[in-house]
Amino acid sequence: MTMRNSFKYTLLGAALLLGTACEKEIDLNLNGNDNKLVIEGVLTDIKGDCSVKLSRTKDFADDNSFAGVSGAKVQIFFNGDTTLLAETITGVYTAPELSGVSGNTYGLLVTVDGEQFTSTCHMPSKVLMDSLSIVEEDLFGDITKVTNVGFKDPGGETNFYRFQQYIRGTKVKRYYVRNDDLTNGNDINARLYILGEDDDDHEYDINSSDEVTVEMLNIDASVYKYFYSLSNSATGENDSATPANPVSNISGNAIGYFSAHTVEKKTIIVP
Amino acid sequence: MKSKLLLIAVSLMAVKATAQQKHTISGTIKSKAKGETLIGATVRVSGGGGTVTNEYGFYSITLTDGKHKLEYSSMGLQTGQLEFVLRKDTVINLSLEDESVALGAVTITGTSTKRSLSTPQMGMEKLTTKEMKNVPVLLGERDAIKVIQLLPGIKSAGDGNAGMYVRGGAADQNLILLDEAPVYNASHLLGFFSTFNSDAIKDIAVYKGGMPAQYGGRLSSVLDIKMNDGNNQDFGVSGGIGLISAKLNVEGPIQKDKSSFLVTGRRTYADMFLKLSSDSSLNNNKLYFYDINAKLNYELGDKDKLYLSGYFGKDKLGVGDLFGLQWGNTTATLRWNHIFSNKLFSNTSLIYSNYDYTISINSGSVNADIYSKIRDYNLKEELQWYPSSNHSVRFGINSIYHTITPGQVTTSETSQINARSLEDRYSWENAAYLTDSWKMSDNLSVTYGLRLSTFSILGKGDFFNLDKEGEILDTLHYKKGEFVKTYVNLEPRLALSYKLNTTSSLKASYVRNTQNLHLISNSTTSSPTDKWVASTNIIKPEISDQYSIGFYKDLFNGDYELTVETYYKSLQNQIDYRDGANVNSVSNAIESELLFGKGRAYGIEWLFKKRVGKFNGWVSYTLSKTERQIDGINDDKWYNARQDRTHDVAIVAMYQLSKKWTLSANWIYYTGDAVTYPSGKYQIDGQTVYYFTGRNAYRMPNYHRLDLGATLQLKKRRRWSSELAFSVYNAYGRENAYTITFEDSKEDPNKTVAKQTALFKFIPSISYNFKF
Repeated sequence: MTMRNSFKYTLLGAALLLGTACEKEIDLNLNGNDNKLVIEGVLTDIKGDCSVKLSRTKDFADDNSFAGVSGAKVQIFFNGDTTLLAETITGVYTAPELSGVSGNTYGLLVTVDGEQFTSTCHMPSKVLMDSLSIVEEDLFGDITKVTNVGFKDPGGETNFYRFQQYIRGTKVKRYYVRNDDLTNGNDINARLYILGEDDDDHEYDINSSDEVTVEMLNIDASVYKYFYSLSNSATGENDSATPANPVSNISGNAIGYFSAHTVEKKTIIVP
Repeated sequence: MKSKLLLIAVSLMAVKATAQQKHTISGTIKSKAKGETLIGATVRVSGGGGTVTNEYGFYSITLTDGKHKLEYSSMGLQTGQLEFVLRKDTVINLSLEDESVALGAVTITGTSTKRSLSTPQMGMEKLTTKEMKNVPVLLGERDAIKVIQLLPGIKSAGDGNAGMYVRGGAADQNLILLDEAPVYNASHLLGFFSTFNSDAIKDIAVYKGGMPAQYGGRLSSVLDIKMNDGNNQDFGVSGGIGLISAKLNVEGPIQKDKSSFLVTGRRTYADMFLKLSSDSSLNNNKLYFYDINAKLNYELGDKDKLYLSGYFGKDKLGVGDLFGLQWGNTTATLRWNHIFSNKLFSNTSLIYSNYDYTISINSGSVNADIYSKIRDYNLKEELQWYPSSNHSVRFGINSIYHTITPGQVTTSETSQINARSLEDRYSWENAAYLTDSWKMSDNLSVTYGLRLSTFSILGKGDFFNLDKEGEILDTLHYKKGEFVKTYVNLEPRLALSYKLNTTSSLKASYVRNTQNLHLISNSTTSSPTDKWVASTNIIKPEISDQYSIGFYKDLFNGDYELTVETYYKSLQNQIDYRDGANVNSVSNAIESELLFGKGRAYGIEWLFKKRVGKFNGWVSYTLSKTERQIDGINDDKWYNARQDRTHDVAIVAMYQLSKKWTLSANWIYYTGDAVTYPSGKYQIDGQTVYYFTGRNAYRMPNYHRLDLGATLQLKKRRRWSSELAFSVYNAYGRENAYTITFEDSKEDPNKTVAKQTALFKFIPSISYNFKF
């Protein structure tokens, strides 16, 4: 939860109380776009996770379905080795046997209609979870169950983390990234808050006996920057000074990212 | 023979000298009722010539010996006349009586002072206490700043936003002075109240162009606010109680005619309503502000006067124990007026100014306080010299020492956050200036001046060299007191007026301003935690060159006034953010999140005003354009600045229905701000992400709003008078957009929708004001 949002929520809360604030859907004439190529490349330390998704941006008024780009040549490099990924579903390219190792730097080369897009990414060292638990916290006056990931940040290096949370098997649509700027070398309790839900929306409520799964990812600095800028300025939710496309680590006329990261997965049943 | 001739020559010269013998009339003009010195009161000499009083009510005029008739006038006060024969230097102190003694409405009559068509000053608007009494009351508070925003070229930043935009300038480009002390955040809670309590204010002048050389440090405007001195005749109490705030004002003489004090305080209690809520997410919250204005003045003798004034304000906001935010300004000004001679007036000021905020986070395992401040120590010395009736000269120096604490993190021992703070930044700002107002002929006047400003960045601290991508190339370490860099700028100021005839004039001006303190905000909406940053080796001083011409016409014997001004501004070293900037990063190199470029702004402003009568008010219209060009943004092409508004209209009307009732209304309309909306979308990690194609390429919906007010004067007893003020903000309940967000539709998650949030829809209020 950022402090800016707290300020906004309080302001909105006060205005709501005065009975004056109101929300409504509006129509905006949002111009068409140039159908830019979107690359989402993932390589982890686990076999079977490697996938590169290619799609194109759509108009605001279109549906949200994935517009896969077929027939591309997708390769991942390490030192002299090249792996060619196979298109398994339209726009999704995989290499089931490929996995990465911490400390290595991997390259991605995508060729679409003769145009080339490249990226490199370092797979950082793996930091393991010490614990996964559910804690109760007073959030805006409501006692709320919150997922807590405990781990020790290594003091000798700069680390970047990303978390993915699943509640009752459903992936929570939030971006959780953090760095160790203010927490280097400390025991960390990272709380995966789910803010901004409407009161009558219970999709992400955590209740006793629910299954909660968390994936903890160690990511590269450039991937942290990508997700940080994405969550700050491209989710459509907030009022950043500069709504903008996330800072990409892909060169060429495309948007998206290529991430080589480690993954650790833990599941608990809520007590 | 020779000596005889010489004698004749000498006596001839003596005759000539006698014929041209000149003497000086000087003095102070005050209001009779309260003994408040009058700023900008007019002294008119029958047969031509005249002057106005300065900020301390002092005037000086030099005339040839002989019989003269002088006329002294000031808005809302009875005009004083004086006939005398001038033979030697004379001191005339004068007190003017009130035209009306009512607390509430003042009908401005035709005898009141007309504006001067011959002063070169343009792009300037003034509000005095008397005029403030007549402005529409909103939410029970007369707020002069809100009224200023109804004038052409000056725009409010919108609902829930503090700040204002002047002639295309950003919110941080306004120099806001309270008794000469810079105020760094001029708004309270939700931007609904300004930090200036109208009860404590004597005079407000706002300059949107043609700033005289004594002002400097901001590009777009100067808002010069002077506090009341306090009644030196009688002890008086006034106050008000409204739905969300209460205030009290106490003033009185310490020594009759010589010294007085004033204390004014306000407190809002909006959060009391939060307590009434059964919703636990609201009733634990805090949301209030209070502020205090205080002033003392003391006459040391005929030639010396001391003033001590101060302001202290605090806003507090809290969400249970989870989150707290408090912020506030503190200013203090000590001034010494000294009259060296009847032609030379001096003022020395020592000024302290501070703005700070503290964020407290108390959530689970994260416990931290973040503290930030900007603090100034400021010395000013100014001399005003009236060498002849055609010239008035000002010169002075100003020296300010700034300390900025960008963010100091303190944590509890159990917190997982490391206490780490950004480095304090030190800088020293200096200026020297000279300006002369010269009446060249009956029709032509000119004010010309020069301001030399320097800004030195001082150690201790780390400064950086960055590459094109904003990555740090190397770090430069500086020791305590070491000069990192000094910027020197010469700022010419020129203003001309030419009187076409008795009812119309033409004016033109050129002004250069520079600015070395910049407000960095990470959001489209303003927040008290927006950061002040001083120029560094990378952040260069912002520079503005403004050219302006205007036409002024008095109609129907001056009952109506028409003003048309047009301006063109060229801006250098403007600041904007890199895509995906994180200005809250804990790096000392905030420059790595910023980009620099140029800007331009131009527009035309119309103001048609009915000045007098039972029905008065004005219509203002601005047509303008504000753009920026910064390499790295919008493919290096020109783009609209956030505050670019094509059309801006304000209509203000006041009507005195009877002795008891005064009605007021204002309506405003403006083109929505330029904003960045998505032009498309795509999926990342199973979530919708928006695709942006151009900076500020879209518009917020147009804004419009009607406010209504009514004041009922209650029965007056001998010394007691009181009124009830009613108002309705946003009378027809227009839902003006505060933010627009984009999300997957709740009904059909396969679609995306745009959602608008409006803050204030139809807010009635009532307040009771009294005076005795």
